[in-house]
Amino acid sequence: MLKLDRRSFLATTAGLSFLSVLPRVAFANGHADTLRVAISGETGDLDLLQNVSTLSSYSAVFDALIHYGPGGTLEPGLATAWTVAEDGLSISFDLREGVSFSDGTPFDATAAEWNLKRWMGVADFSWIGIADAYESIVIDAPNKITLKLKRPVPAALLELTIVRPVRFLSPSAAAGQPIGTGPWIVESYSSTETVLVRNDAYWGEKPTFARLELKVVPDELARANALRAGELDVIGGDWVAALSPRRAQALASEGMTIVAEPGTATTILGFSPNSPMMQDKAVRDAIFLGIDRTAVATVLFEGFADPTVDIFPATVPTAGSRTPVPARDIAAAQAALTAGGWAGDASGWTKDGATLEIAFLVSEESFPGSRRIAEMIQGMLMEVGVKTNIETVDNATMHDRRPKFDYDLTFFGTYGAPYDPHGSLGASFVTASDTGPDGKIYVHPDLDVLVATALETGGDAREGAMQAVYDWLRDNTAACPLVVTQRLWAVHPRVAGFTLPATDYDLPFKGITLG
Amino acid sequence: MKNWPWAILAPAFIFVLIGIFSPWLMTHDPAAQDYAALLEGPGWAHWLGTDYLGRDMFSRIIGGARTSLVAMVFVLVAALAIGVVIGSFAGYVGGKTELVLISVIDIALALPSLVIALALMGVFSGANFDWMSDYWKMIVALTMAWWANYARMSRAVVVAELQQPYIEAARVMGASHIWIFTRHILPHVLGLVVVYASADAGALVLAIATLSFLGLGVAPPTPEWGQMLVDGMSYIEENAALVIIPGLALTAVVVSFNLLGEAFALQKVPRAVRGRLLSRKKAARAAEEVARKVVEA
Repeated sequence: MLKLDRRSFLATTAGLSFLSVLPRVAFANGHADTLRVAISGETGDLDLLQNVSTLSSYSAVFDALIHYGPGGTLEPGLATAWTVAEDGLSISFDLREGVSFSDGTPFDATAAEWNLKRWMGVADFSWIGIADAYESIVIDAPNKITLKLKRPVPAALLELTIVRPVRFLSPSAAAGQPIGTGPWIVESYSSTETVLVRNDAYWGEKPTFARLELKVVPDELARANALRAGELDVIGGDWVAALSPRRAQALASEGMTIVAEPGTATTILGFSPNSPMMQDKAVRDAIFLGIDRTAVATVLFEGFADPTVDIFPATVPTAGSRTPVPARDIAAAQAALTAGGWAGDASGWTKDGATLEIAFLVSEESFPGSRRIAEMIQGMLMEVGVKTNIETVDNATMHDRRPKFDYDLTFFGTYGAPYDPHGSLGASFVTASDTGPDGKIYVHPDLDVLVATALETGGDAREGAMQAVYDWLRDNTAACPLVVTQRLWAVHPRVAGFTLPATDYDLPFKGITLG
Repeated sequence: MKNWPWAILAPAFIFVLIGIFSPWLMTHDPAAQDYAALLEGPGWAHWLGTDYLGRDMFSRIIGGARTSLVAMVFVLVAALAIGVVIGSFAGYVGGKTELVLISVIDIALALPSLVIALALMGVFSGANFDWMSDYWKMIVALTMAWWANYARMSRAVVVAELQQPYIEAARVMGASHIWIFTRHILPHVLGLVVVYASADAGALVLAIATLSFLGLGVAPPTPEWGQMLVDGMSYIEENAALVIIPGLALTAVVVSFNLLGEAFALQKVPRAVRGRLLSRKKAARAAEEVARKVVEA
């Protein structure tokens, strides 16, 4: 029979306690040089010509000629210098010398030409202005190329900062092999994680840690719990693994570091230009004035959003002059309706026998959290006397109805950096643009002319041409901007020096050290 | 009925009473938003606290009971009516008509009701159905998903009753089809189907909540338990009551209705029917005895 005295018992307990700690120590040591970042979907093989993963995963591996810096400044990437011809019909690039892809293939003019020709002049990528205007590429020297265009594209340099399909793949890479010149090299990928190792030959600022693990965690609560448990180091980023403001508050109170920076995309309430009710400017004005944007930012975004009435935030280049956000004014909203020929009060409005009742199309799948914002706006408009019927639909229905303007009100978002302002303006405010299931925020023949002029105008006149578009949108109450959501990340205490890259399409690593 | 589990059945009756009298029971407008009172705990001002828009939880629970009750009654009545008419017609007419109708019923029964309702809600979300509110779309979808059970049951009762001698006697006496159906067959059909429907009420309340949970049911700002549940999920870490309160209400009502149906099934076979059945059985046995004696003689 086993005998257990007090001394043996204490010794055994101490021994077991020590053993129980070992796995944790081993686990921590095993990840000492690894940054574990949550992603909401698997990366796949990072095919640059296909939409297989979030853009941020691509940017870890593939480089661009030009990088998007803070506030839209252009920074040298694989091109160290560039010159745009006075007529705007050609752009010359000095390519960075001594750079190789991670498989050893040198990056030179031939490799650049091979990459650019994969998407320039290809119909699938005509949504990129520079691809649509492409004429030819001339190799001037082993490290110098000139891109010739059929017409000037003022946003050409900004377009060269985007991720897919613009970034550079090794011409020697076999199909399905993601080989770039970026700071990271793909070691392995599966449906649950992608493992990257540091590219020690990277030409730029190298990561201070050796490995980057992108862990696939689709559920936001699971991501937060994994961060708490120390199984993840970083979560967040709208296009990486979104973190809700409320969850961020909870994590902040538990000792996690919350990094919030002004966003680059605006959440906009769109008025259908086909809806008879919304064609009435008085109704649009009443809605514009009847919404308390500050309350939306405070109540639903916990302060991690900035109220706005401008289409683009100041973080986007040529975003136009700033308009002060007006306080909610129910009396002014009702006065606008009265001036527009509507009769009524807070209990309801009528005009020519028609009751003021609007359909608010909402899809949680398309825009998570939108139903709560819609409910709040519904309550605000109810006090004005505008009856709002929220129609909650699935993604497919939203994608079917939005392009047809089959709604009165619905939510839109601008694309954000580095796509704006040219991206959203050219797609969401032009009658002839093909935005597929995304639909358009507002279209009008007068607006088409203004946008076309703005997008074709370069140099010093560009800002004025852009401002003319913004002025027209504001004067006609063509859209109802609500808030600019902040870029929100939560970081484990073992991560120091976490700073956000210029866009959420890039993965953060610069300046990070691991404890 | 004295042996019935009244304590467990109480939530079902309370649910019905609250549903009927909810306008007088609500302490606040369930849609009224108060940004100065967000996510408050229970207190004198708000007995069950407030939600993320400062809306009174007690009033929303009460309002949600009415939403579910009204929808449930509409669906049950409509599904019963459709099911009984189609099932009885199939059973009474027989032949190829019965074959076609029973095939339709079998197809409808082959898929879970909720799956059918979800598919129909998908169809109804198209622009052609804009004239219907989300609430009515849900009622129509659930009705179309629920009728087949009652049709199948009704047909079985009709076929069984048609074998009875008294139906033949009625025919011989020149009774019309409508008279035979309404006076002799329909009471039997309803006696069984209504009992079954009482057990189905809980499942329906759950289906209504499920559709709302998936964002396909009742439109805001109308309070509904399933929608309250899904809305509360985002705040489960900070204020679990937003999920627990509607969850408990839903659980209590569903369990209670299920037990009610079970109690009906076990004990509430109408006495008159039972008596007639017994006398018929006795008469049949007596006839068999007479026949046996005649054969022996």
